[in-house]
Amino acid sequence: MTSESEQSKNGEQPVAPAVEAANLVKDVFSDFLRKRTRVLQGVSLTVRRGETYGLLGPNGAGKTTTLKILLGLMRPTSGKVTVLDGPAGDRKTLYRIGYLPENPYFYSHLTGAEFLDFIGQLFGMPRQARRERAAELLDLVKMRDAAERPMRKYSKGMLQRLGIAQSLINDPEVVFWDEPMSGLDPIGRRDVREILKQLKQAGKTIFLNSHLLPDVNEVCDRIGIMNKGKLVCQQRIAAISATGNYRDLEDYFLTMIAENSAAEKAVDETGGPIEDSQR
Amino acid sequence: MNSINAIAAIALNTFRETVRERIIYAFILFACAISLLAIMLGSLSVGQDVRILDDMGMAAIALIGGVIAVFAGTNLVYKELERRTVYIIFTKPVTGWQFIAGKYIGLSLCLLMIVAAMGLFLGFLVWLSATPTLTSLSQDLLLICKPLVLVYIELLFVIAAATFFSTFASPMMSVVFTLGLWLIAHFVDSLKTLGHMSQNPALTKFSDIVYLLLPDLGSLTKVRGILMYGQHAPTELVSYITCYVFGYVMLLLLLASVVTEQREFP
Repeated sequence: MTSESEQSKNGEQPVAPAVEAANLVKDVFSDFLRKRTRVLQGVSLTVRRGETYGLLGPNGAGKTTTLKILLGLMRPTSGKVTVLDGPAGDRKTLYRIGYLPENPYFYSHLTGAEFLDFIGQLFGMPRQARRERAAELLDLVKMRDAAERPMRKYSKGMLQRLGIAQSLINDPEVVFWDEPMSGLDPIGRRDVREILKQLKQAGKTIFLNSHLLPDVNEVCDRIGIMNKGKLVCQQRIAAISATGNYRDLEDYFLTMIAENSAAEKAVDETGGPIEDSQR
Repeated sequence: MNSINAIAAIALNTFRETVRERIIYAFILFACAISLLAIMLGSLSVGQDVRILDDMGMAAIALIGGVIAVFAGTNLVYKELERRTVYIIFTKPVTGWQFIAGKYIGLSLCLLMIVAAMGLFLGFLVWLSATPTLTSLSQDLLLICKPLVLVYIELLFVIAAATFFSTFASPMMSVVFTLGLWLIAHFVDSLKTLGHMSQNPALTKFSDIVYLLLPDLGSLTKVRGILMYGQHAPTELVSYITCYVFGYVMLLLLLASVVTEQREFP
């Protein structure tokens, strides 16, 4: 596995990680016959405070499962997760994070403003603070005009923007965004990149799952690439371009996946680890 | 303090959602229609019209309330899973029991509103079909109010059962389980009697244990019948039944919370 050098090697103080996952393993069972499939195979990653980290990988690589474990929506079969010095899914930790799910589905019976108010209430925010924050965020995601419309009348892009707004209502220290550019037109993608830059400037830690490599290249400080339930590599964006070996991030991504797939194949041929096993 | 905020937010959201479902209005219309039908039936039998209206109206309220409780209750948690809104809820500082309590309170309040509206309508019809004077209106409403409270208490049990089953079963299976438990709760007394009629002591013991485990709503129905005809029911008995039903409600909600806390959201 390719790994970057730690900051401490350059004489800088090591920064306490915002997110730390150690050797995460996750087995899922099919409903019928209880067939076990290992979807995560010892994933270890670290996201430093104030860093923008992009988790990349082909479909089914285990990105969303990793994210759900970091958020406490799923529990690892083995391994340890720490988010802001607390266990994943801990109530105190959840006050300090924001989450945007992939293809967000909300309550169609609520208006955008009612939905943001609802989310603010879940954080125990006072009414006035909720209103002010909702107005601020609706402006940020350019949804002020649609705030009083029921969400069933929203387009996919509008839902995505509202999803971003709800993930920021508590002014989180760490944001976890799963495919934030999904469903957005080029203008929407540009707007999201702008929001990400503002969050970076404000010192927030950002964890992104994305397929859109040009966007990742523009906003992320560091990336991790997953393939078949494993973290293939972690690298700084700046270091990738500094090597001069890759045309762009896409080239690097495809090379890493190809190398990993070839290595996996070689291991399989020599009777290596089994991906799926019968209980 | 935030526990209450989170429960209130989820309850308000559930209340809004249920009220904004058109199905609720359809049921209210149905209740009105059946009450009007009762008037027509009442006019066919001399002197019995008020009683028939009372009986049919209350039965209609119990039935409609039950249908709403079963179908809305069994969808409470499932809809959140299906729409994937659980991802939003459980990545906020909300615990399983707050979620369940909020969902339960929201639907219970919605049902309270519907049952009260139907009860008021029935009371008004009863008043109109008897001798409509201002003093008799309050008497008629009071007469309906007492059994109506017991109907609502029974519905609270049904919502709790539906909520519990919806935490781990599909809506179809939840409906089957809820209706099954509701039906058993009305006949569990007969099961105990049947066990005691048997000569086999093991069977008697078994029926006693089953009776202890399962809820018994038979006495609630009996007291409701007594109250409907304006007769007096002992306060101790009504209090006992209320506490008994609430005990089961708490147990079912506790189990629903435990299941929610333990489950994953893949």
